[in-house]
Amino acid sequence: MSLLQRWFAGIPAYLWSGWGALASLLLLIAVWEAISLAYGPLVLPEPVAAFRKLFVLIDSGAAWPELALTARRAMTGLMLAITAGSLLGLLAGLSLTASMMSRPIVTVLLGTPPIAWLVLAMLWFGASDGTPVFTVFIACTPVVFVGALQGTRTLDQHLKDMAAAFRLPWHMRLFDLYLPHVVSYLFPAWINALGNSWRVVVMAELLASADGVGAALAVARSQLDMDAALAWIAAVVLALLAVEYLLLEPIKREVERWREMDREHA
Amino acid sequence: MLMANVRGLLDARHPLWMCGLRPFFLLAALAALLLMLMWLAFLGHGLPLPSTVGGPFVWHAHELLFGFAFAAMAGFLLTVVPEFTGGGDFEAKPVRWLTLFWLVGRVAFWSSGWLGAPALAVSGLAHLALLGSLAWLTAPRLWRDPERKHLAFLWAVAGLALCVAGFYVDALRGEFPARWLHATLGLFMILIIVALSRISMRIVNHALEEAGIEGVEYRARPPRRNLAIFCIGLYTVAEFALPASRLSGWLALSAAAAVFNLMNDWHIGRVLLRQRPLMFYGVYVAMAAGYATMGIALVFETSAISAGRHLLTVGALGLAIYAVMGIAGRAHCGQLFETRLWFPLGACLLALAALVRAFAAWPGIDPLRPLLTAALLWCVAYGLFAWHMAPLFIAPRADGLGGCKGAAIP
Repeated sequence: MSLLQRWFAGIPAYLWSGWGALASLLLLIAVWEAISLAYGPLVLPEPVAAFRKLFVLIDSGAAWPELALTARRAMTGLMLAITAGSLLGLLAGLSLTASMMSRPIVTVLLGTPPIAWLVLAMLWFGASDGTPVFTVFIACTPVVFVGALQGTRTLDQHLKDMAAAFRLPWHMRLFDLYLPHVVSYLFPAWINALGNSWRVVVMAELLASADGVGAALAVARSQLDMDAALAWIAAVVLALLAVEYLLLEPIKREVERWREMDREHA
Repeated sequence: MLMANVRGLLDARHPLWMCGLRPFFLLAALAALLLMLMWLAFLGHGLPLPSTVGGPFVWHAHELLFGFAFAAMAGFLLTVVPEFTGGGDFEAKPVRWLTLFWLVGRVAFWSSGWLGAPALAVSGLAHLALLGSLAWLTAPRLWRDPERKHLAFLWAVAGLALCVAGFYVDALRGEFPARWLHATLGLFMILIIVALSRISMRIVNHALEEAGIEGVEYRARPPRRNLAIFCIGLYTVAEFALPASRLSGWLALSAAAAVFNLMNDWHIGRVLLRQRPLMFYGVYVAMAAGYATMGIALVFETSAISAGRHLLTVGALGLAIYAVMGIAGRAHCGQLFETRLWFPLGACLLALAALVRAFAAWPGIDPLRPLLTAALLWCVAYGLFAWHMAPLFIAPRADGLGGCKGAAIP
């Protein structure tokens, strides 16, 4: 209860601290404006033109279905990746042999460009939803896997011994010892994976789908509609920013506070 | 009687010359009142203003920035630089020279309509002499300070000197010089942030102590301050090079966001609602609102830029000078904090004046009445200030000491 209360009391301060981020983003938009001013709207339309177009897209109802479709594909792939990556990573972390064995494989998976997976996915799944979902899954799994692996491997041996010496019941070991530590590694990995998924899904759609934001981008490209292209890009980036700063960052802070408290007590 | 009084004031041993802020805060308060009364008479009754280069609007901005705000800044720097860096107060003699330069600047600029280019040149030189001597006096101390952490004041003075020089070169060449005044306003916003970061630490922490709040400390954190200064600086440069462009609009919006971000430092609980912290907080609110209004006006091509500009001049600059002169003015004349009602009342009137002045730019309304109301509110605020504070500046210290030594805050 007090946790919830404190969390709610912290919301205004957290939102207000967003002004700093907003200042930086506005500087970025100013750079965009400057480039557009220097090279003309054919090369880069003004930010206002893109935002106006985005507003028209949202207002006409054209934006939401595409965004929802893209989000569904990204989330499906991401959920699969998080489930598989976390589980496999945790299991691999438990055994030294398994983690040793899995490392080169992960390196290979991480090193393979998503576009290569996309080509395979297009051959396997054609123009169905499977293509973007699979590409997201395969691009995100290694990231989560490494996070889970590190989380398990870096568990403090002394703490484990102490828990054994005090004969801590299994649920206390799990919730008070293993989970907080592992989550503090897993969570950043999940956030990384989220950013990845969002990027990869748009790319996959651009090349392999008939609908979704990526496909809309492809249409804008073929029609040389710079305003629409930038409007879609802005929509994707804004959606990512919103999820990251309104949903994940607060949770991440909570998790990290946990870790800091751990450190203080240590 | 009056002549004898004036002659007494000119005597170097008069208490007026005891501390650098006394003559300059007195002149600033009187200038604030007189300049706005003249503006009021011009707007309301068409009474002529001194005919100067660029017309009445340039006169208005020139006098309030190069006259009123320069006087306040000179008084402030002459007092706080010795305080921040250690060492004795500045002597009466250089302070008297500075005052003379300031007065020559007023007379020469006001008469430049009749006397032409020579008077304009004299005015420019007098303003440069004022800033130059200010830099010459303060630079060695700011430089000698082991950490050199107050050098920003010196850069601000140098920037202002550049603006003055640019203004007069443009004016003498017959070009419209207003862009230099806009740049001056930007520099003053930066100067306010630099100065308030020093002042607010004392004021807010003192208020915390006063309120008996423990376990909370106010700190003006450099990263947020630097971001705000950076954004305002960028906007000022962009406005100078590309006035009325979307680019400067985005930069104004980023400056607004950066100033809002700066307020994070201030959100430390109820102490914010106490009188003196609230005044300084109000300065930042006005500054952020001003840049936001200007940014929106520039990005969406509306006509509200003057509303934003006056939130900066009246709300941020006018209120900051009022609060600093009121607090530092009393402290360095050996008095405790002002507890009477006129002081917060005047601050409220200034905030209201800024709002009313901004409202004058609302589309579709007749701007004259809000313009007059805002000017009147300003006059009442600074009239109250001059009425209560001027006697302090020309009287000996209540504690019988000499010089600038501050009271009120240990």
